[in-house]
Amino acid sequence: MSAGGDIARTRVAPPRAPSGVVEETLPAVGREDAADPGMPSGATQTVKPLPAWERHLPKVYVVLLALAVLGLAFFPSVANDYSVTLALTVLLTVCLASSWNIISGFSGYVSFGHAGFFGIGAYTGALLIYHDTVPWILAVLAAGVGTALVALLIGYPTLRLRGPYFAITMLGLSELARIVVTAWDSLTFGGSGVYLPILYERSERLTNYYAMLILAVLVVLVSYTVGTSAFGLRLLAIRDDEGAAQAMGVNTTGHKIAAFTLSSFFPGAAGAIYARHNGYIDPPTFFAVIWSIRAISTSILGGQGTILGPIIGAVVLTLVSEQVWALDPNAYQIIFGALIVLVVLFMPGGLIALGQRWGWLLRSRRL
Amino acid sequence: MGGSEARGWLPRRFYSVDAGLIGLASGVRRPLTGVWRLTPGVYRQASDMDVLQVVISGLLLGGVYALFAAGLNTIFGVMRVINLGHGELMMLGAYTTYYLYAEGGLNPLLTIPIAAAAMFGAGLVMQRFLVERVIGQPLLSSLLLTFGLSTLLQGLALNRFTADFRSVPYLSGSIDLFGLALSRSRLVAFGIALAVTGVTYYFLRSSRFGKAIRATSQQADVAQVCGIDVRRVRLATFALGAALAAIAGSLVAMIFSISPEMGRMFLGKAFAIIVLGGLGSFVGAFLGALMLGVAETLAAYFTTTQLAEGVPYAVLVLVLTLRPSGFFGVRE
Amino acid sequence: MKSRNADSVRQLTAEVMAGKLSRREILQRAAAVGLSVPLAAALLGAGAAGAQEATPSGTPTAPPPSGPPIKIGASVSTTGSNGRTGLYQQEAFRLWEAQKNASGGLLGRPVQFIIYDDQSDPTTGARLYERLLNEDKVDLVLGPYSSSVTQAVAQVTERAPLPLLAAGASASDIWKRNYRYVFGVYSIAEDYFKSILLDIAPAQGYKTAAIIYEDTLFPTATAQGAIAHCETAGIQVVVNEKYPAKATDVSSVLTKVRDANPDMLIGGSYLPDAVLITRQSKELGVNPKLFAFSVGAAQPDFAEALGADANYVLGPSMWEPEIDTAGNQAFVEAYRAMFPGREPDYHSATGYSAAQVLEAAVTAAGSLDREAIREQLLSLQMETVLPGKYQVNEQGQMIGHIPLTIQWQNLARVIVAPEQFAAGDLILPTPPWNQRG
Repeated sequence: MSAGGDIARTRVAPPRAPSGVVEETLPAVGREDAADPGMPSGATQTVKPLPAWERHLPKVYVVLLALAVLGLAFFPSVANDYSVTLALTVLLTVCLASSWNIISGFSGYVSFGHAGFFGIGAYTGALLIYHDTVPWILAVLAAGVGTALVALLIGYPTLRLRGPYFAITMLGLSELARIVVTAWDSLTFGGSGVYLPILYERSERLTNYYAMLILAVLVVLVSYTVGTSAFGLRLLAIRDDEGAAQAMGVNTTGHKIAAFTLSSFFPGAAGAIYARHNGYIDPPTFFAVIWSIRAISTSILGGQGTILGPIIGAVVLTLVSEQVWALDPNAYQIIFGALIVLVVLFMPGGLIALGQRWGWLLRSRRL
Repeated sequence: MGGSEARGWLPRRFYSVDAGLIGLASGVRRPLTGVWRLTPGVYRQASDMDVLQVVISGLLLGGVYALFAAGLNTIFGVMRVINLGHGELMMLGAYTTYYLYAEGGLNPLLTIPIAAAAMFGAGLVMQRFLVERVIGQPLLSSLLLTFGLSTLLQGLALNRFTADFRSVPYLSGSIDLFGLALSRSRLVAFGIALAVTGVTYYFLRSSRFGKAIRATSQQADVAQVCGIDVRRVRLATFALGAALAAIAGSLVAMIFSISPEMGRMFLGKAFAIIVLGGLGSFVGAFLGALMLGVAETLAAYFTTTQLAEGVPYAVLVLVLTLRPSGFFGVRE
Repeated sequence: MKSRNADSVRQLTAEVMAGKLSRREILQRAAAVGLSVPLAAALLGAGAAGAQEATPSGTPTAPPPSGPPIKIGASVSTTGSNGRTGLYQQEAFRLWEAQKNASGGLLGRPVQFIIYDDQSDPTTGARLYERLLNEDKVDLVLGPYSSSVTQAVAQVTERAPLPLLAAGASASDIWKRNYRYVFGVYSIAEDYFKSILLDIAPAQGYKTAAIIYEDTLFPTATAQGAIAHCETAGIQVVVNEKYPAKATDVSSVLTKVRDANPDMLIGGSYLPDAVLITRQSKELGVNPKLFAFSVGAAQPDFAEALGADANYVLGPSMWEPEIDTAGNQAFVEAYRAMFPGREPDYHSATGYSAAQVLEAAVTAAGSLDREAIREQLLSLQMETVLPGKYQVNEQGQMIGHIPLTIQWQNLARVIVAPEQFAAGDLILPTPPWNQRG
C-alpha cells in the first residue's frame, strides 16, 4: 500500500458522530468493521490495514445486488411502460447519487454541479441524436466523455477552493452552463428546446432502460472499486484532513481532479439517456438545480461515503416521493423539506447507519 | 440591418462587449459617445445619458441586494453556515408586507418594522432549534439543513399563499433629475436599505454585542475563551440576519411581483456579492452589492438582458478562482 | 335540499382538488353525489344546459349516468412556475366533470377526472401521463398546461396512441412534428399579436416596434410570430431582445427601447414580467404609442398589480367572460358558483373548451375507440365557449379560433378587436407617462 493508504489509517473522523457506534458489540463479520470510514463515527479511530477478504462486499450483498440486477433486467417483460419509466428514474437517481458520492462522499468536496453535468450531457447527447450524426449509443458515450472533459477543465481551478467556496462555485458554474446553453440558440435552439424522434416501438424505448441499467451497474462497480482502492483511501484522507494528506505526500489536486472527472462521466451519460427517453429537453428542466439536490439528498438519505447508501436512497426516495406526489403535490414539497431536515438532524449516517444500528444490515466496512 | 444577421453572433457579440467595456474604461477621460453597443442585428451609438441612466438603475438595484446579502454574510461570517433558506426568510418578509398592506390597509413602509420583528422571532426559533444543532458539523450538514428548511418554507408558502403573483402597487413612477429617471420605489428602497445597513454597521462596530459578534466572526474559539457567550451570539446573529432579509423582502414587494418561489433567484446574486465583497466584510459586501447591480445593468445594456443573467455567476466563479479572498475581504 | 347538493358537489370538488381524498374515496363520494343527480342538475343547470346548446350530447333531463365511469386523465401545473395559470385549467376540468355527472354523463356513463400536478416540469408531466395511461388506465386524456410540458407529454400520448387535446398549449412547434393525435384548442402562439400588428398597427400608422421576450418556448414563439407579422406589415423591428425567465430588472433593455423610441412595445411575457416591464417603462419614461403583452395583460391581476398604470395596455386574449359565444354566460355563472371568489380566466375557458370538444368527439364517435375519436377531432367543426369555432387543419393545428384583443380602459378589460366581439373603441395613442392623471 502506498503512502496515501498509510495516512488513512490514522484519521480524525468528523465530529458529528452518533457516539456509541464504536462501543457497540461487534457482529460476527469482523472486528475492524466497527471502524467504518464510510460513516461518520465517533472520536479518533485507527483504521487498521484491511485483510483482503474484507475489502470486498460481503457475499450476501453481492448476491443480493446481482439478483436485483437480474430482476431489473427482466422487469420490463412483466411491467407496463409507466413502471419501466419509474424504474428508469430510480436507476437515473442511482447514477446521479453514486457518482456524486465519488467526489463528494469520498473526498468531502460538496458539489452542486451535478445539475450542470446532467444538462451538458443531455444537450450533447440530444444534439448528436437530433442531427443523426452517430448511433445513439455513441451519442451517450460522447455525452459522458464530453462532460468528463468539461469537468477536467474546470476541476483544476475550482478544486483548489475549500469547503463552501467550492460548493457555491459549482452552483455558479452549473447556472452559467444553463445560461450559455439558453443563449447559444444557433447551436442549442435556446429556450425552445430540442425535440428528438419519438420511439414508437417498445423495444426501442427499452434500450434506454437497459442503457441506464448498465450505467447504474457501472457506476456502482466504479464506486466500489474506488471505495476499496488505495485511491479511495487517499480520497477519504483528503476528506478528513487535506493538509495532513498533502503533508504525507498525497497528490491531493491530482486525486481530486481524477475523482471529479470520473464522477462527472455518469451524470453526463445519464443525462443523454434520459433526454432520449424523454424526447424533449429544454434548459430550465435539464439544468434545474433540483438535479444536484436530488443527487445530494439521495446520498445523504442512504448514507454518504458508502456504496449501498446511494442505491438504497435512490429506491426509497424515488418510490416514496412518487406516491406522496400522487397524493398531494403541495404536501410533497413540505414533506420533502421536512424529510431533509430530519435526516440531517437525527440520521446523520443515513439509512445505512440506521440499518446497521438496528441490526438489519451487516456492519461491513464497505457497504 | 436585418435580424437574420444575428446568426453566428457569438464572436460579434463578444467583440461588441469588448468594445463596450473598452469604451467605458476610456470614458473616464473622454465622453462615452464612442461606445458601440448592440441589440441583435442593430448597432447604434450609446449616449452618455443612457449609460448614466443604466448605472443609476444598477445602483438602486444594488441597494436592495446589499440588504439581503448583509444578513447572509453576517450569518456566514459568524457560524460558517451558508443559509440556503435565506431567500425564504426574504419571501416571508415580502408576504408580511403584502398581507398587512392588502388586508390590513397599512402603509407598506409601516409594515417594514413589523416584518423585521416577525422574522427576527422566526430567526430565533430556527437558530435555537435547528441550525444550532449543526454548528461545527461538516459543511454539507448545514447546507442540507437550510436547504430542507428552504423547501419546507416554500411548500408551506405555496400552500398558504398560493402560487399567485402578488404586488404592492405603491410609489410608482420616478423623479426626474437632470433628465435622469430615478424610480421612486427603488429610490425609497435604496434609502431604507442604506439606512438599515448603516445602523447595522454602527451596531456591529460600536455596541458591546456587535463587537462580540465580530469577535466570534473572526475567531470563534478565541472569542469563547474571552468569555463571550458564543451560543447567544449565534442566536442573535441569525435573528438579525433574518430581520435584514425580511426588510429586503418588504422592499422587494414594493418593487417586484412576489411569489413563494421568489427567494431562490436572489440567492445566487447574494453569493456573488459576498464573494465579491469578501467573507465577513460588511462594508465590502455593501460595495460588492452596488458593483453587482451596476455590472448587471451595464452588461444588459451592452449585450442583452439574457446574457446579463450570467453576470453574478461569472463574477462568483472568476473572483473565487482568481482571488479566493474576495476584493475587499481578509484572507482566511 | 338543493343547496345541500350543490354544496356536496362543490365540497367534493374542493376536497379532490386539495388532494384530501384517495381515489377510492373520490369514486364513492362521486357516486353519492351522482345519485342525487336531478337536483344537482337543476342547480348546475344553467351551466350544463347552456353548454349543451352547443354540444350534441344529452339534455338536462337525461337519465342519471350509470355504469363504470369514463376516466379522463390530465396533469396540470398547480405548483411550480406556471402554478397560477394551471389552476384555472384544473378548475375548468372539475366544473365540466361536475356538470356532466349532473346531466347524464358521457355516453351515459359518469365521468371521472384523474388530475395530477406536474409542477410545471416537462419530464414529470410525461411520466404522469404514462402513469395515467398504464396505472390508472384512463380512457381519455386532456392536455396539460404550458407548451413545454405539452411537448414532453405529446411524446407519450402519441405513441400510445391516444388523442390529446392541447388544452393549455399553443406553441406551433408542437404541430410541426407531424403528430397524428395532437389537436389544438386555441390559436397558435405565433398568432397572438397578429391582430395588433396586422390590423391595429397599420390603421394607426405605426411603423416601428420593439420586441422583448422571455427566453423560453412559449414567449419565444409569440415573439417570433410578432417578428414575422412585422415583416408582413412592413413594420421595422428596432429592438429585438430576450431576457431570462424570472428577470427582476429590465431597465437596461428599456433604456435601449427608449433610445430607439418605437411606436410599439411588444412583450413576449408572462404576468410578472409584463407587470415589471410596465412599471419600469413608467419609471424610465419609455413612451411608445402602444404597449402589448402576450400573457399577463389579459389577466385580472395585471390591473391589481399596476393600478391605473395598467390602462391603455393591449393584450391578446383567447376568451373573455362577457363574449356572446355558445353557452358562455352559463359557463361563467356556473364557474363562479362552483368556485366562489374565483373569476374565470381565459385559461379556464380553453380548458373547458377542450373538454367540450372531447365530449363532442366522443359522442359523435359513439364509443371510446381512439381512432374513431381521432377522426372526429380532425373533421369536427363546432362552437365552444371560445370565440370562433373548433376547427383544425390536417396537422391538428387550430385554425378556427378567433383570438381577441383587449385593452385596459379605466381599469377594465375592453375587447377592442375583432369587430364582431368588440365592446369598445381603441384608445390610442397611449399618452406619455408624464401626461397621465
